[in-house]
Amino acid sequence: MKLAGNDILIQSLINEGVEYIFGYPGGAALHIYDAIFKQNKMEHILVRHEQGATHAADGYARATGKPGVVLVTSGPGATNAITGIATAFMDSIPMVVISGQVAKHLIGTDAFQETDMIGISRPIVKHSFTVESAENIPEIVKQAFYIATSGRPGPVVIDVPKDTTAPDKLFEFNYPDEVNIRSYSPPIDPEKNQIERAVEAIIASEKPVIYAGGGAINSNASSELIKLNEILNFPVTNTLMGLGVYPATDERFLGMLGMHGTYQANMAMHNADLIIAIGARFDDRITNTPKLFAPNAKIIHFDVDHSSVSKIIEANIAVFGQVKNSLNEIIKLCELKKEMINTKKISSWKNQIKEWKKSHGLNHDMYLEDSDDSPIMPQAVVQHVYNITEGKAFVTSDVGQHQMFAAQYYHFDEPRKWINSGGLGTMGFGLPSAMGVKLAFPNDEVVCITGEGSIQMCIQELSTCTQYNLPIKIININNEALGMVKQWQDMNYGGRHSESTYQSSLPNFIELVESYGHVGIKIEKNSELKSQLERAFSLKDKLVFVDVYVDPDEHVYPMLVAPNGSLKDMWLDKETKT
Amino acid sequence: MIQRKVSIILENKPGALVRVVGLFHQRGYNIESLHVDPVNDLTKYKYVEKNLNIKLKEGEVSHLIISTTVNDNLLRQILRQINKLIDVLIAEEVK
Repeated sequence: MKLAGNDILIQSLINEGVEYIFGYPGGAALHIYDAIFKQNKMEHILVRHEQGATHAADGYARATGKPGVVLVTSGPGATNAITGIATAFMDSIPMVVISGQVAKHLIGTDAFQETDMIGISRPIVKHSFTVESAENIPEIVKQAFYIATSGRPGPVVIDVPKDTTAPDKLFEFNYPDEVNIRSYSPPIDPEKNQIERAVEAIIASEKPVIYAGGGAINSNASSELIKLNEILNFPVTNTLMGLGVYPATDERFLGMLGMHGTYQANMAMHNADLIIAIGARFDDRITNTPKLFAPNAKIIHFDVDHSSVSKIIEANIAVFGQVKNSLNEIIKLCELKKEMINTKKISSWKNQIKEWKKSHGLNHDMYLEDSDDSPIMPQAVVQHVYNITEGKAFVTSDVGQHQMFAAQYYHFDEPRKWINSGGLGTMGFGLPSAMGVKLAFPNDEVVCITGEGSIQMCIQELSTCTQYNLPIKIININNEALGMVKQWQDMNYGGRHSESTYQSSLPNFIELVESYGHVGIKIEKNSELKSQLERAFSLKDKLVFVDVYVDPDEHVYPMLVAPNGSLKDMWLDKETKT
Repeated sequence: MIQRKVSIILENKPGALVRVVGLFHQRGYNIESLHVDPVNDLTKYKYVEKNLNIKLKEGEVSHLIISTTVNDNLLRQILRQINKLIDVLIAEEVK
């Protein structure tokens, strides 16, 4: 079959099974858009800003495990996509971004809408390609999807000069069945002796804790992790990125660890004699001061990425391979040796953890208030959303206090349900990522928990939601300030709120969303909180924007003491430090 | 800390070199010297073919040598980061 470059590109995407492509047209991408018009196998979602396209594709990828696909034009189209690419890169999300480029003979001439996309995106992609000729497109697309989804996943950029997609030059189209990149072979199965060493360390341990992160979700290893812990019965904590990989309602779950982790999770990590890290990378929001991190712990580190192991914290035992495969191997050996686990010692360790939880664990009751004399607490908002959705919703979030409250008070029992920008911390992520999730799971409840600061960073996507009829529920936890910035200013800058408030400039969100054809609900009183949230969720076929005014002075706790603190050094409330 | 030499065999493709050089800056490592040549005489590179079970052709790969002053841990991290680059076939310390 002979096709032009633009059709070859689109056919290649269809061959990869792409259902949705998120994008925005423009000069250098027009040939490609013409090829999109001529087919009906793949739906294009027209966003309102290229950042929205990348986050929507990212949300789709996180929820489904399949790569998100983005199409943007050259110049500003490409640069607008950068924040979303960096977001996906930091959280190891599979994504393929196709950027239009000026024609080859114009490259380097400062042509209209020319920018060096390969150069600009280089530090934030797993790999990138420039199309030299339409003939190469099938192989490049095949390689791009393979690289994006294998090993440690990540975004891949394909820069497509306009002349390579010209409709008047035809080439033979053959899509390759297989891909082989001789310089790239990510580890798959673990080495046997590392598994044996890991099991020896498990048997020797008296104070173990399992610390699982986003890598375990990327590797689809949730059921393996659960199976492993049916044998081990160890306490489990998850990173912000790992929430849901182990059921939050399981009694062995300690909650999230790290900067705003639970008291018991941080104390367990600090006092452990064995940390089993599974697809987690010991980043600075987890370790606090690395030198003071878990002073008595041996570390077993399961990861697919060599460069993540012993980068921050030296691992005693490194198990390289797909986490899923590695866990399957260790399950077999643990099953054989489970009688040797020191259950007696571990039982007293678990009692100690229970004591920690009892003394300073999250207190859910203290935030639920009926009286209109006291302000609505943000934690209560999340708790009501959790109850109304029965813990089954997909929850996306933006970045800041609301994100931490959502992570602390929405208890995720399944992986891929919690969608947030953990690594890069990208405000503006919540709404567009919710669009990607809703397209992938139209029959599931999709909630975006956001704040009045973050939502305004990609609020134009409300229009996209109208065009494609995406009945997302947006919970705007409105404290009329950049809450996390303000919290840091309260704690570290003598309460000087430098540029963290808006001085009465907030829009009327209700009128704003209504102008897009959505429903707006404003909540200012505790007595209305539950019933109005219930009403919002009862409007099944509508996007509902709930603007909840909460206590503007609330802080997120616990909070690690930094700098120079360890994991046991936490602020527990405004007055109390451990 | 002493000066180390890192030897990198990478695909001789446009943009491959800058990925390695860019990585040094991006990760906060310093480059003290840099030398790169396309590999035309393959006799010294049999180990690459053996390790990766591939057959090289003349001019298909480049040999890059970078000097940098780092401790053992950071050197290991640098090598792992470089080896992760898709266009890199082998990165190792020159002893």
